[in-house]
Amino acid sequence: MGMPITYTEQELVAALKERNNQAFAFLYDHYSGALYSIIRQIITDNSELAGDVLQEVFVNIWRKIESYDQTKGRLFTWMLNIARNASIDTLRSKSYQNSQKNQELPDNVYKGASNQTTQQNIDNIGLKKVLEKLKPEHRVLVELAYFKGFTHEEIAGMMSIPLGTVKTRIRNALLQLREYLK
Amino acid sequence: MNLKEYIASGIIESYVMGLASESERAEFEQMCAQYPELVEERRKFEESLETYASEQAVRPPKEVKAKILKAIITMENSKSPRSIGLLRFVAAAAVILLVGMVVLYYQVSQQNKDLASTNKELIDKVNTDEATLEKVKIEKQSLGNAVIVNMVGTKIAPKSFAHVYWDSTNSSVYLVVKNMPELPSDKQYQLWALIDNKQKSLGVFDATDKNIILKMDSTKKAQAFAITIEKKGGNPKPTLDSLTSIGKTQLTQ
Repeated sequence: MGMPITYTEQELVAALKERNNQAFAFLYDHYSGALYSIIRQIITDNSELAGDVLQEVFVNIWRKIESYDQTKGRLFTWMLNIARNASIDTLRSKSYQNSQKNQELPDNVYKGASNQTTQQNIDNIGLKKVLEKLKPEHRVLVELAYFKGFTHEEIAGMMSIPLGTVKTRIRNALLQLREYLK
Repeated sequence: MNLKEYIASGIIESYVMGLASESERAEFEQMCAQYPELVEERRKFEESLETYASEQAVRPPKEVKAKILKAIITMENSKSPRSIGLLRFVAAAAVILLVGMVVLYYQVSQQNKDLASTNKELIDKVNTDEATLEKVKIEKQSLGNAVIVNMVGTKIAPKSFAHVYWDSTNSSVYLVVKNMPELPSDKQYQLWALIDNKQKSLGVFDATDKNIILKMDSTKKAQAFAITIEKKGGNPKPTLDSLTSIGKTQLTQ
């Protein structure tokens, strides 16, 4: 499956804004795996639903490519945030919440246990794997903020920690993450 | 706060990963516009994040790609101005069609009226023509029994040419002018029957009465017919100097 055409990021963005289908196929082939990975890190228990979210993400990329501003960051960063936001929205949707309630008992029991202890997840991939290297008090904040989509204020309330502390700990955790990514 | 401290604060990571607040984002973007080093630091983090994410890629279900491409095609079709254009076109075409049908209806009904009146005219004309034809048939019948006398031109008018139809059974005399020289307006042609060396006037006619059947006065007897030029209205006696045509009846031959 040799790719006859490769793009620089600049060219790719230009081609996408011109609604070039070939460029879009290239985009999918090169980034769908990384984006699907982040989706699976957020929607951990339903690969079919994760596939639906991936579809929604790429449709949104196609729809919103005009609004992508290169001065604010790389194309992948923009797409990663779309994928993360779509995943968190799905996680918080009524239908997802209901489907969780309707899950079979053994699954629920397992999940409950896994959530309580914040232990290693069954599909421990991507950033979550790096997260394991952080101190638990840092890890849980990043988990809540990045993978669950809670605001700093919500986390402060949930954990009974001052807002300033939440912010500082998250920032420190992210700086550590950066070191691990290098 | 100097730039190094700002970079070391974790704002870059927070911004890139979408965890910065609205005000933090605005401030960071403004700083980036001022400090290329900050942009360079941001780019480095973005690249390492991208590289790591690519390394950690998970292959999505195979069918997703086809679904996405289908969804995009559907979206493009439903959103494109072309489909709105098509809808407008169809609506416009429907209106045009409707107007066209109304116009057509009026035209057809008008045409119907015209045809009806034309039809009535034609029926009237046919009736008239049939009546005329009936008369002609009767005349033709009478002409059928008639003796045809060729009226040959004399020296005065060598090219003059006419036929006399004489039905001796009912004494009717008809004249058909084929070619008679035109006369001054105060003159007319006069047809005579020659009976036992006497001349009987059968009436006057004009050269313009061409190719029509003229009913002349009747005569029971005639050895010959003659045409003379006389004053308008005719004379009781023919002016023999102006004899233009003469034709003998078969009966005398």
